[in-house]
Amino acid sequence: MKTARNAVKSEKLIKVLLRYDEQKKTIQSITIRGDFFLYPEDALEKLESSLVGVRLERSVLNKRVQEILQGAEPFGFTAESMTEAILGCLSKKIDRV
Amino acid sequence: MALDEVLLQNLDDIPILRLYGWNPPTVSIGYFQKMEDEVDVEMCKHLGIDVIRRLTGGGSVLHDSELTYSFLTRRYPQSIIESYKVICDAVIIALSKLGFNAKFSPLNDIVINGKKISGNAQTRKNGALLQHGTILLDVDFEKMFSVLKVTKEKIRDKMISDSKDRVIGLNKTYVETLSSLKNGFREKFAANLVSDTLTEDEKIRTKKLIKEKYSTTRWNLRL
Repeated sequence: MKTARNAVKSEKLIKVLLRYDEQKKTIQSITIRGDFFLYPEDALEKLESSLVGVRLERSVLNKRVQEILQGAEPFGFTAESMTEAILGCLSKKIDRV
Repeated sequence: MALDEVLLQNLDDIPILRLYGWNPPTVSIGYFQKMEDEVDVEMCKHLGIDVIRRLTGGGSVLHDSELTYSFLTRRYPQSIIESYKVICDAVIIALSKLGFNAKFSPLNDIVINGKKISGNAQTRKNGALLQHGTILLDVDFEKMFSVLKVTKEKIRDKMISDSKDRVIGLNKTYVETLSSLKNGFREKFAANLVSDTLTEDEKIRTKKLIKEKYSTTRWNLRL
């Protein structure tokens, strides 16, 4: 299992802490923080928990993020910019936890 | 913060405008931020600055020499950006009465000559909207950057010098700014402002919420 962080500024800043299975390329856990807005606010916890097990492949991840965010309204990011923020962790230096 | 939440829970058809300053100075972070990422909490303790996590999203702010408004209403545009524009317009009108040519800067700022004078943050619950925002009267950049954490990619001194080009204070008094802000909201919403006081129930619920939520490390530090 690997852990990596990424920070991306789209309209607002998205910071991601990602734990993932390097072999299966799936999300083990994810924490998303930043100065964005999301309505309702508890949609973020649902996003984080619903991404567990999802493959870190662009089209798969983007589709899943879009599905989870249906019914919620992000302000300061899009499903696409969130996907890129998450995938950007894969090219970052690995955290020694 | 607790009072904003109680007023939001209780809101009927009559909008509320709440105007206030900060004593002691306080750093607030947005709902989706993590205190340890954004704030030097030890430095805040050393300087006598409080810390709190807001019920609204957005970024971290040092509330010191400023006037803060909280506006609560059940009548607002569904579009988030339009609702920000409408409410920020009341602030812009207030600033024009003080002689400033201010503009709305998406997503949620107000600027004068390209420099940020006001940040705003909104939440919506059960059909009611709360938008609160700052109007900077003066800015102490040294203090700000001694308590707000700077990422590895940015150098503190550069941020201070850059911020002086991007953020300003009005250099007006609290009293005259407050008077203008009331007039701004009166004009924008064609409203009479009627002074009011908290009910006993609101006072009790606010104290309870402070004790159970806003003064806890569980809420503020997301533990």
